[in-house]
Amino acid sequence: MRSLPEADPGLPDLRGPLRFLWWNARRQGGPLLVGIGYAILWWLVQALMPAALGQGIEAVTAKDTGALLLWSAVLLGLGLVQALAGIMRHRMAVYNWLAAAYRTVQLTTRQSARLGATLPKRLSTGEVVSVGNSDIAHIGSSMDILLRGTGAVVAIVTVTVILISTSLPLGLLVLFGVPLMAVAVGPLLRPLHRRQRHQRELTGELSTRAADIVAGLRVLRGIGGEQVFSERYRDESQRVRHAGVRVATIESVLEGAQIVLPGLLIAVVTGVGASFAVAGQIPTGQLVAFYLYAVFLIGPMRTLTEAADKLTKGHVAAGRVIRILSIDPEMAGGSGQSKGGVLRDPASGVTVRPGTLTAVASGVPDEAIAIADRLGRYADGDVTFGDAELSTLPLAEVRSRILVADNGARLFNGRLRDELDIRGEATDDEIWQALDTACATDIVEALPDGLDAEVSEAGREFSGGQQQRLRLARALLADPEVLILVEPTSAVDAHSEARIAERLAKARAGRTTLVCTTSPLVLDHTDHVIHVHDGRVRAEGPHRRLLDSSPDYAATVTRGED
Amino acid sequence: MARDILPVADRQQVRAYARRLTLKYPRQLSVALALHGLAAVAGLVVPALLGSLVEDVQHGAEVNVVWVAVGIAAFLLLQGVLVRYAVLASSRLGERVLAELREEFVDRVLALPLSTVERAGSGDLITRTSRDVDSLSRTVRHAVPETLIALVTFVITIGALLLVSPLLMLPMLLAGPVIAISTRWYLRRARDGYLRENAAYADLTEGLAETVEGARAVEALGLQQRRRDRADRDIARSFAAERYTLGLRTVWYPAVELGYVIPVVAALLVGGLFYTSGWVTLAQVTTATLYAQQLIDPLDRFLMWIDELQVGAASMARLLGVANVGDDRQAGDARPAGELLEASEVRYAYREGRDVLHGVSLTVRPGERLAMVGPSGAGKSTLGRLLAGIHGPRSGSVKVGGVPLVELPLDDLRGHVALVTQEHHLFKGSLRDNLLIARPGASDADVRKALGAVDALDWVLALTDGLDTAVGSGGLTVSPAQAQQLALARLVLADPHTLVLDEATSLIDPRAARNLERSLAAVLEGRTVIAIAHRLHTAHDADRVAVVEGGRISELGSHDELVAAGGSYAALWSSWHGGAEPDPDHRPA
Repeated sequence: MRSLPEADPGLPDLRGPLRFLWWNARRQGGPLLVGIGYAILWWLVQALMPAALGQGIEAVTAKDTGALLLWSAVLLGLGLVQALAGIMRHRMAVYNWLAAAYRTVQLTTRQSARLGATLPKRLSTGEVVSVGNSDIAHIGSSMDILLRGTGAVVAIVTVTVILISTSLPLGLLVLFGVPLMAVAVGPLLRPLHRRQRHQRELTGELSTRAADIVAGLRVLRGIGGEQVFSERYRDESQRVRHAGVRVATIESVLEGAQIVLPGLLIAVVTGVGASFAVAGQIPTGQLVAFYLYAVFLIGPMRTLTEAADKLTKGHVAAGRVIRILSIDPEMAGGSGQSKGGVLRDPASGVTVRPGTLTAVASGVPDEAIAIADRLGRYADGDVTFGDAELSTLPLAEVRSRILVADNGARLFNGRLRDELDIRGEATDDEIWQALDTACATDIVEALPDGLDAEVSEAGREFSGGQQQRLRLARALLADPEVLILVEPTSAVDAHSEARIAERLAKARAGRTTLVCTTSPLVLDHTDHVIHVHDGRVRAEGPHRRLLDSSPDYAATVTRGED
Repeated sequence: MARDILPVADRQQVRAYARRLTLKYPRQLSVALALHGLAAVAGLVVPALLGSLVEDVQHGAEVNVVWVAVGIAAFLLLQGVLVRYAVLASSRLGERVLAELREEFVDRVLALPLSTVERAGSGDLITRTSRDVDSLSRTVRHAVPETLIALVTFVITIGALLLVSPLLMLPMLLAGPVIAISTRWYLRRARDGYLRENAAYADLTEGLAETVEGARAVEALGLQQRRRDRADRDIARSFAAERYTLGLRTVWYPAVELGYVIPVVAALLVGGLFYTSGWVTLAQVTTATLYAQQLIDPLDRFLMWIDELQVGAASMARLLGVANVGDDRQAGDARPAGELLEASEVRYAYREGRDVLHGVSLTVRPGERLAMVGPSGAGKSTLGRLLAGIHGPRSGSVKVGGVPLVELPLDDLRGHVALVTQEHHLFKGSLRDNLLIARPGASDADVRKALGAVDALDWVLALTDGLDTAVGSGGLTVSPAQAQQLALARLVLADPHTLVLDEATSLIDPRAARNLERSLAAVLEGRTVIAIAHRLHTAHDADRVAVVEGGRISELGSHDELVAAGGSYAALWSSWHGGAEPDPDHRPA
């Protein structure tokens, strides 16, 4: 069993769901064929069991001890082979399931990383996350079922051939009876699936309600309302219960039908066998074999139904996955070069001089964000960087030289040290230095393992203000040529904000930094402030001079102070 | 570092609870079991028919093949019908028990003490409400009935075997040790193995979710390679966990399957020898062999589901554990005389030996507006929680009208003090529902007034459905700022005497926040407001300002007093306001 994951998941065939599944199958062709081989062997051995048992019974009726010993040994031998082939088949099935599921995770991860800022614009998070939650399982299952499914077909054919060679009508009866029995439960499936869907929806709503209660528990325990929510939950829970019973009403019929329908076949086959035996056409032992064949056929028959179901689900899942994999990033780069220098956005008139700490202050936060997005090339614009058009530079180079750090940028789970120092080159001193600049040392000191703490749920473990300070430290450690900070202190208290502003100026001395903010505590520490109104530069200059000279600016940053 | 702060029930509690649930509906349970038993019996008739058929054919007795076929069909039909009603009966019972389980759990969650709710964070509790409830549902819906049915069928088949021939039963016992020993070996290792497997799988899907949710950050920070590596690492770990359980099954499955085939071979071989010796009849040998074959199915089902029972028990332990949180307040009989809020010499520590408050004393007069400012980590929020009666101090006291807050019953406490944090949650439901939580009997006019007090009436009325607009998960998405407004409106409706606002307007645009605070102040005239704020205008507008630094109140007084005093508040204010410290080059005109 080769180790997973594959180093390179390869280039998938995205021309359609079936082609995607076929491409997957071919990627793991070897293990798949070996698995199918074991599955066929496993089913065949089971198909031969009734014959061996029939011969054994025959030996008993004939009181032939030698034959009895022989057939008992054969039976035991078949049992052993079945056990071994069974486990090998299972191992290969699991392997194939995992290989396809893991490959899909690799592809989706790589695609999400490739899409970057384009992803949230083109896809909902839930859509992509559901790939991880359900689609990979369906794609895995569609590979897994190929093993048992192929084996089941072989088993049914084998039994039919054995029966035909004994009696043509009997063989034909089985040949047509088996698929007929499989199809006969069909009419039940549609209402069943409908009720199951209804039940799933209600269950989903119920879990949402429960999660809602937990998320708002502070409110409920702090202000009241427990009784109301308890009753609401109870109502919905009872609805789920009744939906469950409605599903069971059909499901139980299906369970019964799965005994009755093959039962009819068993009865007919056994009856026909008995008539042959009475007429002396077959030995008595064979009669038992006939009965056992009919019983055995239930297994492969169910597997075929299962295969149809799993392949359908795999097909749907593959469709969703290729939709995600087919999207291309919106922004493209060129192959130009730039020595760097002044960063200029003609659309707004904002000019960022190298080596300065500049601020953009706008009463409407979205205007500042639009400027930051253009300067960082997240949106199209005729931005120039030094003497070159920003759009002519390779995108990866733009990203590494100009970092736009906004409040949506999440902290990833992992060892805190690694998540802060994304370049992986900083010394402990440098990390603490950055934390100090961001006024975030207290956060790390409070963690039992400090910088080595494993952060698994950053969003839940740290408050909004703490996350913001950690994000700032991360951006500082990335140490880009141009750092664009969007509202970096909006969730931080005034004391810390003042300290951060002061330290930021020192930490970025000599580097180019742009801060989008309206906080006077921050603006006071910048070299140059650009006041933007209606998307255009309205006034520029040092903070204090603008305060005096521009009433609009003063109103924007002092928030209507008396 | 998932914090597992809530307790987990012990084995005894789980067993007692499971027993209570099982026996709660004895009639329904016995009906379901009886139906399954009868179905098993009907299924056992067919091999018996076949056995006597073989005997008859062998001895040339008169055989009516049509009747044989009809007989077999009739009994299988009977079995099918019985199974139908048996499955329905057990599903009904299962759904009923399951509904009770989750409803009781939610009630337990809703009764959690305030201090636990505030401290535990929601991570652990969310896992319990989602993953554990799901996993228990699977257990109750499938594992419990399947194992019970398998057990019933197994016992009845064994009984039938004994009826046919106790003598032929003996050789089959050989299979017992093979199955028992291998299963014991397997089960000892399986639970941890599968838990690890599930955890690794959850990490894998969470890692993908993170990459997706943080896609822009991935691009901005150039983390593509890291995310790919993280996925590959998660996959490798998941694969290792899968391999381990696969290894366990590689030993267990063949052993068990061998255990299945032994009785069949034994019945045939020994039966045949006994028949030759004339100890048993041909019908007995045939039937016993077929029964041995028929034992496989229930046995297999039973073995396949028992580890799921273990998983279900683990989930149940976590669900029941929520009830093990001790109550945090012991209500006394004393009732507050007045609304004077007094903290004296308060110390508090989240962790033993690490006080975050070092002897804070503070008196808040009824109707006063007090602002708390200070650097993060200084203990403002902790002090706020103590003043809201959520935690009791380690030493010292916090009293309202002379009575310690933690000695007030919860309902009374809510009338005196309420806390609103920057956490803003909107429940799934209408806007009105969200506000009525605080005062279920409030009229629409009251609701409008409360919305007006937080500057939210305009945008709420502008919505097509107004107060009936669905919000929360699946409903209209309101901005965090709007959610904060609604949280405040809720508090206005609740109308406690003292309000503790912990950064309650932090997400609202600064200028709008100031307006809001002013209109709120007008509505709350006469109420005591303690506002923890990171914006200085809140402090400027308050009656008194408390500067909290390093777990102590370092400055206390009105805005003007503090500015005049020239301490850290004054310095901050001058930097904020920009004008207080004249700039030599640009003197104000």
